Amino acid sequence: MRRALKQLAGVRQPAAADPEVLRELRMLRSRVPHLTGALAVGAGGVLLAEDAPGTRTGALAALTATALADALRLAETADRGRLRELLVRGERGYVAAYAAGPATFLAVLAEPRANVGRVHLEARRTGARIARLAAGTNERPQEG
Amino acid sequence: MANVETSLKEAMTAIEGSLGAALVDYTSGMALGTVGGGKELDLNVAAAGNTDVVRAKVRTMEMLGLKDEIEDILITLGGQYHLIRLLRGRGSDGLFLYLALDKARANLAMARHQLRRIEAELEI
Repeated sequence: MRRALKQLAGVRQPAAADPEVLRELRMLRSRVPHLTGALAVGAGGVLLAEDAPGTRTGALAALTATALADALRLAETADRGRLRELLVRGERGYVAAYAAGPATFLAVLAEPRANVGRVHLEARRTGARIARLAAGTNERPQEG
Repeated sequence: MANVETSLKEAMTAIEGSLGAALVDYTSGMALGTVGGGKELDLNVAAAGNTDVVRAKVRTMEMLGLKDEIEDILITLGGQYHLIRLLRGRGSDGLFLYLALDKARANLAMARHQLRRIEAELEI
């Protein structure tokens, strides 16, 4: 049964949020003041988990994926290597996206008064943990 | 007058017991420059973390109704001193100098004096 479920998960379904990924997002939000939303997005712009009340997360996920694709090309064209993160600063705060494994990324929203240094530090760590979680579910479907 | 790099290097060499120094923008929590540090002392982590310290103190003073300014903040650890000096003057609002010292080698009074001098000469 579990195997079947995991295989199904491998076939890219926009199903219920991954509880472990969701826990990571909640932890990130609780650790960083003025971080108002966080979402984990998998291959093809599929939302893995979200903790962003009052945000149109579907549109944000899709748009961030597009922006990251451009940023990725920009980084490569400018010979800066593989894309790690993208930071957008608007008048009313920040949108940041962090690569979390080969096909997954973490997007966060923060208020203007957020401590960006802290947002980077914590989001990078969360991104690395989400990458491990994503790799765990995709690469070991035979388990269990 | 000295630029950021020169000032931080000066803090590392002129102040006895220096382990690392950073110039930090506490509106963003990002370091404008770092010197020293290393594996045991990640200065970017220190910049982000101490930004919260400075902001908390600024907020506390507001709540207390103190119409004053922070000159510096001293944090005494078992084996280190951490010194935070807020910058004033044109173009340097919202910045602080951060200095980590080895307690066994440092002279605190001298370190504060030197840091004040380095701040005065710093040109952003």
